[in-house]
Amino acid sequence: MPENHPAHPAHPAHPTGTAAPAITARNLVKTYPGRGRRPAVRALDGLSLTVPTGCVFGVLGPNGAGKSTTIRILTTLSRPTDGTATVGGHDVGRAADAVRAAIGYVSQGTSTDPLLTAVENLEIAGRLRGVGPAAARMRARVLLEEFGLGDAARRPVRTFSGGMRRRLDVAAALVHRPSVLFLDEPTTGLDPEARAAMWAEIRRLSSQSALTVVLTTHYMEEADRLSDRLALVTRGRVVARGTPAELKAALHGDSLRVTLIEPDPVVVRAAVGPLPGLRDVVVETSGVDGVLAARTDNASTAVGAVISALDAAGVRYGQVAASHPTLDDVYLHFVGHTFAGAQVAPATGPADPTSRNSEKGTAA
Amino acid sequence: MTIVAARSGWFTQTSQVLRRWLIVVMRQAWGPVMSLVQPVIWIVLFGHVFSAVGALPAFGSSSYVAYLVPGILMMTVLYSGAWAGTGFIDDIGSGVMDQYLTSPVSRSAIISGQLAQQLIINLAQSVVVLGIGWLAGARYPGGPTGIAASIAVATLLAAIFCCCSSAVALTTRSQIALISLSQLVVLPATFLSTTMMPASLMSGWVGTVARWNPMSWAVELGRGGLTGSYPDAAWWHAGGLAVLAALAFLWAVRAIRSYQRTV
Repeated sequence: MPENHPAHPAHPAHPTGTAAPAITARNLVKTYPGRGRRPAVRALDGLSLTVPTGCVFGVLGPNGAGKSTTIRILTTLSRPTDGTATVGGHDVGRAADAVRAAIGYVSQGTSTDPLLTAVENLEIAGRLRGVGPAAARMRARVLLEEFGLGDAARRPVRTFSGGMRRRLDVAAALVHRPSVLFLDEPTTGLDPEARAAMWAEIRRLSSQSALTVVLTTHYMEEADRLSDRLALVTRGRVVARGTPAELKAALHGDSLRVTLIEPDPVVVRAAVGPLPGLRDVVVETSGVDGVLAARTDNASTAVGAVISALDAAGVRYGQVAASHPTLDDVYLHFVGHTFAGAQVAPATGPADPTSRNSEKGTAA
Repeated sequence: MTIVAARSGWFTQTSQVLRRWLIVVMRQAWGPVMSLVQPVIWIVLFGHVFSAVGALPAFGSSSYVAYLVPGILMMTVLYSGAWAGTGFIDDIGSGVMDQYLTSPVSRSAIISGQLAQQLIINLAQSVVVLGIGWLAGARYPGGPTGIAASIAVATLLAAIFCCCSSAVALTTRSQIALISLSQLVVLPATFLSTTMMPASLMSGWVGTVARWNPMSWAVELGRGGLTGSYPDAAWWHAGGLAVLAALAFLWAVRAIRSYQRTV
């Protein structure tokens, strides 16, 4: 378990007591009108969230699940079609400027001008948000040191690497000391080294108890390592919420995974279906190969039974693995298909349960 | 260390937006240099191509170059103003616009700061155009006051076109749409005006259009300033340009607000 996780999953790392939540979102709906032959898209379909003050809140889901749309509404960039939301106690619609003063936002784009130096970008960002001239200069210097960009302070941002730019974006979002920081997929497109550096920065920020961090990601590992609390989002709704440990503990027993070679899903389901002790059986194919995933209370007996059944049905298989639940399994349990499968076919269309790219069957 | 982040005033916001755009101009030196080379080419080119036309009595007694300079002055600010919106399209593409819109910065300050940068560039261009005209043989009997008046009119015209360009940029969010639309407007606006030719020399409807073309108003006011004899309707035309500038500014501010509503 990562070191920043609470020892007792029932209690978040930063006890909030009766303090007001940093963010509440109630039944957010966002539809984008269709254009020409493109149908209307229902990006959010009644999404609700409560983010306690001071925690790192992960919003996990595949591409197109509605994570960015949620962040755009909470940062006042976009207006919800229906529903309400507050950030720092302020309504995002009626008190947009109060919300804007309280937040920092790192979007998937950049926040800095490539022709300006790092220090110029930060100073201007601070001055625009009400920081005085001397304080903005000092704050820029301190932040650049904190984010390991001190040596590059006077270089134009266009000479920065992707990882340096991303760190500068985060620094720019902190110039005015916001109480809520939104990070929209902060490590997407970064190489492993830059990703590790960004994770370290986010952990460092999370140790400042006054700051609430909302982080969207489609990386399981990132959500697991960084978040105190998680919301699992798919098709514009939250389908599961809790601490990573709570979510994993909610799944009893072990998970079983068998990689399949050129499988016929119907045959596989027919073979495995009658086996006792298997739950949440999912058969998915991608290209010629596939995967069989299931949950079981007793992995040791289930592995043998599954292998015999597959052999008897003439199904070829590769790796067989049994493990304690991971966030991947949590995702599988709530969403009904594997995380990798969802990445291949992101849910961009309206929430329509019949359009799933995998079928879920529960064995008796 | 404590920082009290009070909301900054409109003037501070505008000047910080301006500061950013001025740094960008300084670091992209080829931009302003090219926009100064352009009027040189125009004065030399049109001055020579049309010099024989200038002998016609409708141009009065002064040289054709003297007639042409106020036209080129307005044309220069028109052409560079039409490009003003490209900065916003870059900002929308990169994500910088999202930063502005999620910070408590006044929307009109975002427009005004960038407009101020454009007007500063235009001011420099105007001075250079008048200098080149002088070197090419044009004289300005209107004196310093007249020169100042013609530059002020050029600034007003620039404000109209910069704001329109920004509004179109924020509405279409497409570099190609902005460029094609500017071409569509800028060329007719120039040639259906008294930039190169007095309205009395134009046939029927062209002359009528030219008389009501705000570009002509600006050109004639500029010409009046430089020669020292203003047209009869000078105040009406100046007022018309000021109203158009105000409307264009409001359009640009509206465009940035409606941009936010559609994301």
